[in-house]
Amino acid sequence: MTQLGPFLLGAPWALAALLALPVIWWILRATPPAPKDIDLPSLRILEGAEPREETPARTPWWVWLIRTLAVIAAILGLAQPVYAPGAKTEDAGASGPVLIVMDNGWPSAPRWGELMNAATATLDGAERDAPVHLLLTAPQQLNANPAERMSRTDAAKRISSLRPLAWNTDRKDALERLRASGLRPSRIFWASDGLDSGSGRAFAEDLAAIAPMTVFAAPPRGPAAITAITSETDSVSVTLRRADPDGTERAFVSAMTLDGSALATAEVSFDGGATEAQADFTIPAAALARIARFAVTGRQGAGTVWLWDSADRSRRVGLVGAGADAQPLLSDMHYVRKALEPFASITEGDIETLVAESPDAIILTDVGQILPEDAERLAKWVEEGGALIRFAGPRLAAQGDDLLPVPLRRSSRALGGALAWDEPQALAPFPETSPFSGLTVPADVRVTQQVLARPGPDLATHTWARLADGSPLVTADTRGTGTIILFHITAGPDWANLAYSNVFSQMLRRSIAAGRGESTDEGDGAYTPKLTLDGYGRLSAPGQAAAPLKAADFATVQPSEAHPPGLYQGPAGTRALNAARGADPRMISAWPASAHLLGDAEARSMRLAGPLLAGAALLVALDLFIALLVAGRLPRFGRRTGAAAALFLGALAFAPYPDASAQAYQYELMPDGTYRRVTAGPTVVPLPGSANDPALGPALTMRFGYVKTTDNALNERTRAGLLGLSQILTLRTSVEPAPPDGLDLESSPLELYPLIYFAVPENAAPLPPQSVARLNAYLRSGGALVIDTRDGGDAGTDFRIARLESLLEGLDAPPLQPVPDNHVLTRSFYLLTDFPGRYPDRRLWIEKSGSPSQPRGDGVSGLFIGDADWVSAWAIDENGRDLYSVDGGAQQREMARRFGVNLVMYILTGSYKDDQVHLPALLERLGDRDEEDDREIRLPNNIPDGGPQ
Amino acid sequence: MTPAADLRAEAEALARQLPNLNFKAEASEAAHIGSAGRRRAGTGEHFWQYRRYAQEDAADRVDWRRSAKGHDLFVRETELETARTVLFWCDDHPGFRWKGDGELRTKAEEATLLMLALSILLSKDGERIGALGAGRAPSFGKRAVDRLAEDFARGTGRKFPSPPRKPATLVVASDFYDPIPEWQARLAPLAAKCAEGIILAVASPTELDFAFQGRVKLHRPGTDMSRIFGRAETMREEYQKRYTAEREALRELTNRMGWRFVSHTTGTPPIRSAAQLKAQIESFGAKA
Repeated sequence: MTQLGPFLLGAPWALAALLALPVIWWILRATPPAPKDIDLPSLRILEGAEPREETPARTPWWVWLIRTLAVIAAILGLAQPVYAPGAKTEDAGASGPVLIVMDNGWPSAPRWGELMNAATATLDGAERDAPVHLLLTAPQQLNANPAERMSRTDAAKRISSLRPLAWNTDRKDALERLRASGLRPSRIFWASDGLDSGSGRAFAEDLAAIAPMTVFAAPPRGPAAITAITSETDSVSVTLRRADPDGTERAFVSAMTLDGSALATAEVSFDGGATEAQADFTIPAAALARIARFAVTGRQGAGTVWLWDSADRSRRVGLVGAGADAQPLLSDMHYVRKALEPFASITEGDIETLVAESPDAIILTDVGQILPEDAERLAKWVEEGGALIRFAGPRLAAQGDDLLPVPLRRSSRALGGALAWDEPQALAPFPETSPFSGLTVPADVRVTQQVLARPGPDLATHTWARLADGSPLVTADTRGTGTIILFHITAGPDWANLAYSNVFSQMLRRSIAAGRGESTDEGDGAYTPKLTLDGYGRLSAPGQAAAPLKAADFATVQPSEAHPPGLYQGPAGTRALNAARGADPRMISAWPASAHLLGDAEARSMRLAGPLLAGAALLVALDLFIALLVAGRLPRFGRRTGAAAALFLGALAFAPYPDASAQAYQYELMPDGTYRRVTAGPTVVPLPGSANDPALGPALTMRFGYVKTTDNALNERTRAGLLGLSQILTLRTSVEPAPPDGLDLESSPLELYPLIYFAVPENAAPLPPQSVARLNAYLRSGGALVIDTRDGGDAGTDFRIARLESLLEGLDAPPLQPVPDNHVLTRSFYLLTDFPGRYPDRRLWIEKSGSPSQPRGDGVSGLFIGDADWVSAWAIDENGRDLYSVDGGAQQREMARRFGVNLVMYILTGSYKDDQVHLPALLERLGDRDEEDDREIRLPNNIPDGGPQ
Repeated sequence: MTPAADLRAEAEALARQLPNLNFKAEASEAAHIGSAGRRRAGTGEHFWQYRRYAQEDAADRVDWRRSAKGHDLFVRETELETARTVLFWCDDHPGFRWKGDGELRTKAEEATLLMLALSILLSKDGERIGALGAGRAPSFGKRAVDRLAEDFARGTGRKFPSPPRKPATLVVASDFYDPIPEWQARLAPLAAKCAEGIILAVASPTELDFAFQGRVKLHRPGTDMSRIFGRAETMREEYQKRYTAEREALRELTNRMGWRFVSHTTGTPPIRSAAQLKAQIESFGAKA
């Protein structure tokens, strides 16, 4: 490339075209803009008329200027100029291979553009045919081989496709790779992140020893990394480090949820000379639980993002339920729950289930005796790292167990009672060694009663909190890797008013944290990457190379390709691996003497060909536009169009928005964490199909159903019987059923029928289990099933139940009883004493009222079993004539019909008519109030054997 | 271009707004051949003469009322009345079939509209109408109007037609932008054959105003004539002066031929021009 001042020219000869400018200028000047083209039939009239003055056919000066500028820009652009003030065409070894070393770890991310730019500028400065080699310092599985020869253009493409990686550089490894490749470069250019990550200076010296080296160092400006984080109950402080200790600096750190909304922002300021600063957040504990990461605002790079894992945040606490409490606001658990709710996920249950869930802490309030096997489980769980928090109380005071941090005296000590000398005690300041240290002791907390620890040599070391008189209030002891913590008072306000205090929840929270401690043993559990950070600090799905990480290695592992920074999912929730944890970014201060150091301005280069050519094209377009405008080919933006546009805009602004009032919108949280607008208007559900939808009929008009069997004659008989019953009902009562439907037990919608009649055929096969299950569901949902075996017989023969047993195996039948006298069934419409069908004197079995397995509360039987063949007695043909003979003639048929009416009334109205049964009792109660006041009034449902006779 | 059917419908509407044509004015009967009475016996409405019954006359031709006065039988004859023939011609020069910016109809369409309206009135009155140079004979009735519209749409192939074989009333529509001597040469044979004629000159407002500004290239449609003006606004005065002079010359020529002159500007209500046209054609009857 030819150098011309700070410019490099790719095609310098193109500039020769500038010589032709005067010619072009002359041509352009002579070309006037095209006139407007207009048709005019009457032009003939002007034949021979000479215009008095004609404008000169000259180009206006500004058109000429635009065109000339376009030509100049095009010529300059074709010369391919590059603005590169630092570029130098070196003489020494100019033809030898050039090695470009690039730092592509996370510290490069903030100034990655400049690094790439510097590398490209070096390429521009290099000799055209010199081979280029590339060495990347961040270790990667398929890394660029420094021995690979690239042409200049290939190298430029390659460099522009590079991205910073999320882990740090390993320059020793890079040097080894360079040595292994056996490359002897004649020039080295190092685009460095400028940070001495352990071996920066040594690396520079080694490179300088190989060949003459040019360095461009772009250390991150401002805060380079978030290196640590500490969290308190409701505050977090984030530690930032910077590379350049000079000057003061301010930055902002945002606390963000997983979906990227910032919950809080804190300012951090570096003092002059300091490399470390802290950003302090004060965030309510409930909001703290939602924070997923911290990031330095406006700064990209994996180093300035700190992922916050669940290990620090949500604690799972198990409360051992003490059963239902009559006074929930006075129960101890209530106070514990309220204190923990904001920052812990609470599960309640018995010890066994809680231990199985392995929460961070289990809280027991005043439990004196734990079942031996539960105690064993608890002990094992504590050994494995659980925090068991117990509260004292009367029961614990009475009889302790061995899951206590200190041995207790077998009584409680009451302070400030009527018979006590002592005043209620206040809290002493928390000892330095205690986890509670730092909490302010509320002055108004008084303890009136406590359980006392037996004095022992190590009692003091186990004590986390004391009363003013020195007696322990909170004691703790470690068991294995876990902790047992005992509050010597109740969790509620019975023994002390600590529960009212804000300190109580802080103490609980710290107890849980301290109880979990660092000692939580995750064993050999492996954590698989769930979300990883890329070099720019953006979250993405883990790549191919990301491998699971052992829990034990989390503390020591350095992020690398196999273990990229990110969130890892494992047995104890998520753990985060952060790029800059514990990093100490320092600038490389002393460079080898032979290295040529480029300044920021020198390393920059700018290719001007593109902008120049684009400018030329723009000018040409402008010229074309002007030409069209002059020729009148463009629509005029006259006053009328303008007015129309203004009117239109005005109409838009004032037009009522379409159904702004009719349509309400609401925002719904989508699974990906974003909010979308959804319509919240009334949802219109279309009516199903047409009127001949089989499910629609019974849903709209009440009708009876019968079970279709394999015996068609029987089906027809049942249908005729139910039709007869329906007609009788329509004639005599306000129940007006539609003609009955035959039902297939496996497919028909049974629940739409208030009554299903099952006439059991002879030698019927057992019902399939599916049908029985549907029948069960029908009965449970309040249906009525009438089963008629149609066996009949005289008064002596008994009901043959065996058939039914095999047929209806699995039917959820409650205990049955014959209909007692004075049952509602006997008076729900007609007064009956008997339920004859075709056969007289048969028994009807119904559910036993008051039986514990009774499906419905009001004691209405849903199951009717008999063998009197009622359908035959009811059956009529189309003309309303009776179909079958009845034993007792017309009288009995009438009685059978009356039974049918009563049955339907009973099914439809339930025990409504039950009241009538008790009419005597009610009258009695109204009339003889004074005498009979102490007499027990029988309530309808409690009456054995159908009530008073 | 407005579709022919629309034009036709509009012409009907226009014709409805005008009072019925009174073409058969008394005075015209004698004066013009080709109009009403032919001064000999034939089919017609008006009485001509009684003549003696001849052997070959049918019995029902006997006028019994007259015959009852004497002993001879008479036959009543009416005067032969043939319809008047009106022939139309519409210029089909591209310059005439042209409309300026934002105008609704071309000049030719406006002319067609006016002439169709007139032809509808004429056909209602039982006159014979037709297109000049169309090659078919003029005819009666509604059908004639349709044919006329067809002939207008077809045009005469940019040639000025030769005079009709029989004398007729002519209506010639054009913009008359060709030089007046040229028009004189064209119209002279027509005027020689037909004493009655109307010149319908249609112009567009664009042509009247000459509202051009700046650098324009003007082009006459249908010809290769074009001119570039550096500042068109300077030519407006000159143009309008010439235009008026041209129109005056045309009017002069019309008067010399004994014809009538009607001018129409597109975009103005056609009813005015139609009424004028009607009045002029009626005046032929009224004159002589």
